Amino acid sequence: MRALVSSPEAAVLAREMGLEALGLAWTDEEARRLAGHVGRVYLVRSGSMADALVRLYRDEGFAVAVLPGTREARDAAAYAAQLLGAAFIPDAVNVAMAGDKFRVERLVLGNKAVAVYEAQPPLLLTLGPGSRSVGEGSAGGEVREISVGEDKRVRPLSVEEKPKGAVRLEDAEIIVSVGRGFKRKEDLQLAFHLAEVLGAQVGCSRPIAADLKWLPEEHWVGLSGKKVSPRLYLAVGISGQAQHIAGILNSKYIAAINSDPNAPIFQYVDFGIVDDLYKVLPLLAQRLSERRRGA
Amino acid sequence: MNVAVLVKLALDTGQLRLSQSAVGVEETPLKISDIDRNAVEEAVKLRGSAGKVASISVLKWPPVGRRVQEAENLLREVLAMGVDEAYLVVDEALIGSDHYMTAKAIAGVVRRIGADMVVAGEATVDGYTAQIPARVAAELGWPYLTYVRELKVDGGRAVARRDLEDRVLVVEADLPLVASVTREINVPRIPTLLAIRAAMKKPIVRLGLGDLGIGEAPRARLAELRPLVVSRRRVIVKEGTVEEKVDKFIDFLIGEGILRGA
Repeated sequence: MRALVSSPEAAVLAREMGLEALGLAWTDEEARRLAGHVGRVYLVRSGSMADALVRLYRDEGFAVAVLPGTREARDAAAYAAQLLGAAFIPDAVNVAMAGDKFRVERLVLGNKAVAVYEAQPPLLLTLGPGSRSVGEGSAGGEVREISVGEDKRVRPLSVEEKPKGAVRLEDAEIIVSVGRGFKRKEDLQLAFHLAEVLGAQVGCSRPIAADLKWLPEEHWVGLSGKKVSPRLYLAVGISGQAQHIAGILNSKYIAAINSDPNAPIFQYVDFGIVDDLYKVLPLLAQRLSERRRGA
Repeated sequence: MNVAVLVKLALDTGQLRLSQSAVGVEETPLKISDIDRNAVEEAVKLRGSAGKVASISVLKWPPVGRRVQEAENLLREVLAMGVDEAYLVVDEALIGSDHYMTAKAIAGVVRRIGADMVVAGEATVDGYTAQIPARVAAELGWPYLTYVRELKVDGGRAVARRDLEDRVLVVEADLPLVASVTREINVPRIPTLLAIRAAMKKPIVRLGLGDLGIGEAPRARLAELRPLVVSRRRVIVKEGTVEEKVDKFIDFLIGEGILRGA
């Protein structure tokens, strides 16, 4: 049985399940990387993602297809899954074969529960937090280009790139993240100052970026924002809505500062301080810079 | 214009009953999935002077017997927001079934009532797979516009600003189509007392899979639901002065090797 995979991580997963892995890529760079891990890569030059999936299923067949986690890829997977009569389980955290079926786990109910699904092939997936990272491979697979028709029903009019500053939350080692506990936009300086001392980037919860617009969206962490995996995620004045938590589960350590001892965020932390952030942040920044000077 | 709006009767994760080993699904109340209120608001706006808004819900959480009344009470809320009639698909075969079946059921209702457009929330709060809008579009053979934060519909044509990760894509498509909206698109109305009273007289239509001519089997089944055990240290410091708390935190950071010791 075959697996269609769009990342080296998925190729490793497929082989662990005893499946032959074929690559699926949309850019030359993706195709080159995948060719290090599989015998053959299909490079989709043009056309709708959903049509490419349906065509590859009909021409080549696959028991499982592992797709990128982008919004467009997820939509395409859902659309193709309905046409193929297949299950689609996004953000899978655990995938295994049990006889002729797949057993897939994903977090549900605001990340408070693990749902275990039994799915028959063909199955479409995206991988959620906890997937390992895989380096360059040397399989030297061939790259075969395919093209399918465009979906002409939806016509693009224009594209607006979201502003990209120096914020690279995905690569940050430490993130200081701010939420509604801050009373005024100017007060965010407290967090920016601490971030400077720690060598950290500044993230934020949904209300700060989407509702109040105190920070550009590139700072937004969560299910609708960025998913991050720093060594330390320090949530300051963030209550910890499920959608926010979903974006930070991959952090090595999670810490929080919040004056409300009942804030949901404290269920997810390694270390929590229950106190007024306006008192904690300046002192924390001061102590840390004293240590740095002393060291 | 006739609009169908998808309203998920979601498990209220804020009130989830959890024990060490079990998720108390049957003891947890349902709620209207948050983003679906934005979808309802948008559908009511799109309807205009001539047309109808029908809500479509598929009951997914057990026990069916007790949930029907609970579901109908919740649907009165969207009827009070301006929805004209509510459709509720209830069938034991849908409990623990997959999104393939849910989309079949929803599309079945859309075909039965006729609509120019289907509006949904970008995702539902309990499952959060965000796959139903595209699946319903596939089932109906319609195009889909997902993650819409601004929508204009005029003369059978929709123009939408779609929120993708790193860009906003402005697209157009002809009706009929399926759109999913984000929370930024509008502010859902709070119904007036008058509207709440009027909602009591609006119809709620209950249907089963048989009524919709659906006999397919799901492709995946929910085999198990268990509490997520969070393996975090959970050292929470409540007592002491701010100085003591900050010192404990710095000690923790050094002890775990997050900060280099001096």
